Amino acid sequence: MIAPETLMAYVDGELPPLEAKRVERAIAADPALAEQVQRERRLREQLNARFDTVAAEPVPDALADMVRGADTVVSLDERRERRRPFGGHWYRNAAAIAATLALGVIAGHTLRIGGGSAGGFAMHDGRLIASGQVAHALDTQLASSQPHDATTRMLVSFRAKDGSYCRVFEMARQGGIACNDKGDWQVRQLRGVAGESAADYRQAGSSAGALMADAQDMMAGAPLDAAQEKAAADRNWRAR
Amino acid sequence: MAFEDEMLALLPRLRRFAQALARNAADADDLCQSAIERAIKARGQWQPGTRLDSWMYRIMRNLWIDTARARTRANETFVAEEAGAQVGDRGDRGIEAAVQLDEVGRAMNTLPDEQREAVALVLVEGFAYKEAAEILDIPMGTLTSRLVRGRQTLMEKLGEAA
Repeated sequence: MIAPETLMAYVDGELPPLEAKRVERAIAADPALAEQVQRERRLREQLNARFDTVAAEPVPDALADMVRGADTVVSLDERRERRRPFGGHWYRNAAAIAATLALGVIAGHTLRIGGGSAGGFAMHDGRLIASGQVAHALDTQLASSQPHDATTRMLVSFRAKDGSYCRVFEMARQGGIACNDKGDWQVRQLRGVAGESAADYRQAGSSAGALMADAQDMMAGAPLDAAQEKAAADRNWRAR
Repeated sequence: MAFEDEMLALLPRLRRFAQALARNAADADDLCQSAIERAIKARGQWQPGTRLDSWMYRIMRNLWIDTARARTRANETFVAEEAGAQVGDRGDRGIEAAVQLDEVGRAMNTLPDEQREAVALVLVEGFAYKEAAEILDIPMGTLTSRLVRGRQTLMEKLGEAA
C-alpha cells in the first residue's frame, strides 16, 4: 500500500532514495498508481502554465521604483543604467510594428485605409484605429449574444491594466485586440491569417489562441462576464 | 546594496506568489506593494547572508493572512457560485474561452487558505517541503497533509474540465 502522502512526496522528489525505489516498483506493478502519478504531474503543469506567465511579465515600474528607492542615495544615471536590462520591452514593440506592417500588406488588397466606406482600420496620428463596420461591432456586439454568422466576432472582453476596456475580436482573415481610448478603438494587436483553405482555418484557430495569450498578458483580473460586458457597453466602454 | 539588488531580482517571483494567493490581479498588486513596503521598513531585521526570499515570502504570506481572514466565508461562497453559473452558460465560444483562461485561478480560489498557501509555495514557487513548512511556521506533517488535500481538490476540479 502506498499512502497518498507518500505518492505525492515521490512526485515532488521529496522521498529518500530507498523509499523512492520502493514506490517506483509499486507504480510499475499498479496501473492505477501510475495514472495517479500522471494526474499529479498534470496538475503541476497546469499550475505552472497559469502562474509562470506572471513571473515572465515585466515588473511594473511602480514596484521596482519602490525597491530602487530603498537604498540610501542612488544617482539618476545609475538608476537609468540599472533600469535598462529590465525595461524597454523591445520585442513587444517590434511585434506591434510587425503586426501593423502585416496589416498594411493585407489592407492594401482587401481594406481601404483611411476613409474607406466599408471601413475596417485607419491610421490616425500614428495609431491604428478601428473604423466602419469593425468599430460598430466593437461598440455594440456582445460576445454573449452575437449572431453566429457575424462578420466580426467578439471572443472576450476585459479590462486592461491601464483601466481601459479591451476586446478580442476575430474576422475571417485576421483577429486582434482593440482597446477603447476616449471613444476610439485603438488596435493593440493584430494577427493576420492568409488564404482560405481548410488548413488555414486551423491556423485561424491557433491565432485565436495566441490572441488569448496576449489578452491574458494585458488583462487586469478576470475577463468580463456577460453582465459586466453588457454594463461596459451601456457605458460606451468608457473607463472610469 | 545587496538588499536592493536581491529584492529587484526577487520581484517577478513575488508577483507570481501574490497571484497564487490573492483572489484576483488587483488584490495581488496591492499585496505585492504592501509586502515590499513592509520589507523596506523592516529591512534592519533581515541579516545579509541569509535567504532574502524565505524572509520576503513570510512577510507577504503574513500580510495576506491578515487581509484574507477578514473576508467572510459567505462572501467566498457567493463568488464561487457566480463563477460556476458562468461556466454553465455556454452560449458562445468566446465566453467559454474566457472562462477557460482562468479555470486554474478559480480552482485555486475554492481552496481553504491554509491549503492554498501550501500549494502556492510548493507547486507554484517550487519550495521544498522543509522550506515551505519553515515559511509557514508549521510542522512538516501539517504541511504535507494540507498539500495532499489541496491537490486532491484541484485535481478533481481541473480533471473533470480537461
